Amino acid sequence: MLCKKVTLPRERLLDPLAAEWSAIPGEPLKLDATPLANQPSEYIKASRDEKQIGKVRHLLVQAAHNGSDILFRLTWEDTNKNVEVTDTNVFPDACGILMPLNGGDPPIDEMGSKDAPVNAWFWRADFNDTARNTVAHGLGTTQFSKECPIQAKAVWGNGAWAMVFARALAVPQQATEAVQLAVGQPVKVAFAVWEGSNGERAGVKSFSKGWRELALEA
Amino acid sequence: MAELSEQQKAQRANELAAAAKSQKAQLKQSKRQLAMVFDLNKCLGCQTCVVACKTLWTRDEGMEYMWWATVNTQPGKGTPREWEMMGGGFRDEEPQAGKLPTRRDFGEAWDFNYDEVFFGGKGNSVHLQPSGEPDWGPNWDEDQGGGQYPNSFYFYLPRICNHCTNPACLEACPRNAIYKREEDGIVLINEERCKGYRFCMEACPYKKIYFNHVRQIGQKCIFCYPRIEQGVAPACARQCPGRLRFVGFLDDERGPIHKLVKTWKVALPLHPEFGTQPNVYYVPPISPPRFDAEGNIDESKPRIPTDYLKYLFGPEVEPALATLKAEMAKTKAGGKSEILDTLIVYEWKSLFGPFTTDPATIEPRTV
Repeated sequence: MLCKKVTLPRERLLDPLAAEWSAIPGEPLKLDATPLANQPSEYIKASRDEKQIGKVRHLLVQAAHNGSDILFRLTWEDTNKNVEVTDTNVFPDACGILMPLNGGDPPIDEMGSKDAPVNAWFWRADFNDTARNTVAHGLGTTQFSKECPIQAKAVWGNGAWAMVFARALAVPQQATEAVQLAVGQPVKVAFAVWEGSNGERAGVKSFSKGWRELALEA
Repeated sequence: MAELSEQQKAQRANELAAAAKSQKAQLKQSKRQLAMVFDLNKCLGCQTCVVACKTLWTRDEGMEYMWWATVNTQPGKGTPREWEMMGGGFRDEEPQAGKLPTRRDFGEAWDFNYDEVFFGGKGNSVHLQPSGEPDWGPNWDEDQGGGQYPNSFYFYLPRICNHCTNPACLEACPRNAIYKREEDGIVLINEERCKGYRFCMEACPYKKIYFNHVRQIGQKCIFCYPRIEQGVAPACARQCPGRLRFVGFLDDERGPIHKLVKTWKVALPLHPEFGTQPNVYYVPPISPPRFDAEGNIDESKPRIPTDYLKYLFGPEVEPALATLKAEMAKTKAGGKSEILDTLIVYEWKSLFGPFTTDPATIEPRTV
């Protein structure tokens, strides 16, 4: 997967509808439901049907950087726009990017491990234009981190979501909860999407099986 | 990393499940268990317990519709409405899928026109009323009950979180955000770990967990643990004017809880078939006999049908009622009954086991 070098400011590309995105190659990904057998809750295993979860099966990912910022644009079809949690049984749409926190080969469908934690950039439709930086070292262990804030912008239209994550490429040396990114250094990436109208949240979602190698164009 | 074979995947899934199971076992264990007994022969549905809890714990933003303690007329839909049909719990130790109650099912927090009536000078022309046209509330079917005149019947059922020994909520949470306190078995949601996924709300068969829409976390009865830690009984129990709420450790053989539940077996769990081993027990309500078609008293049939009580409390309700009736006959004949003396509660403090400290005498703490 290519993270194209561009000479555009972050603010411009943060707009999911910016015309410049059409020049950036996109990688269509096939998504699958998360394996029910791995869910860290016997209740979830017993109450869900693997065929009924992970409703979103296709995601288009575009990545770009300008030397100091990296941006990902995710688009997927979703005729049901779910934004606000208007009731107890209502869940918002969401998406996320997963990367190994400290390199290595963390197990994707286990959300990392103690030895190989992962860094997740998480956006939910009711977060307005922010995303959450989270760290995990295994199933059910995600914790929101205030380190290295991530910007987000999302637009829903014509039965589809288009949203952009943006973050500085480099993070302070002392950061322990945000993946260090640099031009020329490939990084493993994976993606997840939650369909709110299908009651998806936590580990009940669609995800890209297997890491993709993201090459940050020099 | 090459994709694992099906066999490797299955093995890994088993390893993860075993690790999760052992974690859950640790979260569930407790050395002692606090419990309550509610004597349904004494509840008059005054809702004082409900308001005591509300004014103490659920006044913050997002908590407006929460009623951690409820009292409903039975038969009736309860709170949330038709909760008994919403699934959850366990059957043969397997978790059962449950439904999420909506805010309307719980009874939405109504907005009243206080400003208009009290401060807007309209006190003589406008009724105090909720806005919109509510069609359900947490006590909507109060006193409707069941049966047909002259054999209509109802009683009141106070409910709180049961702080179960095998909590379905604790099992369900994929983040292990729910745990049982080791020292007293109180089940708590860790508000720092909770992300508002609401699987616990699906799984609880008693539907006693609420979702705070502002904080986006689950919340429920905490057994007044900050009071317990200072020797003060929970607010619902202490405020009850009916003297029907006993509080104590299940293993305290000299206390009323142990005697009512284990020794005399007159206090029973609600819907034991849900499989969660609740720690709130009920003394079933005795009722007068029914009238037959000719208008004569039929001693063989109580007004509250035994089948209905069996539906609520299981088959053990029959011997429990028999014991109570036998004790009442004993005292009527001039004898003494330790069971009835315990249930009558001549001494108010005897309800609370070791938790007899007056809350007015302790320093307030922030939780």
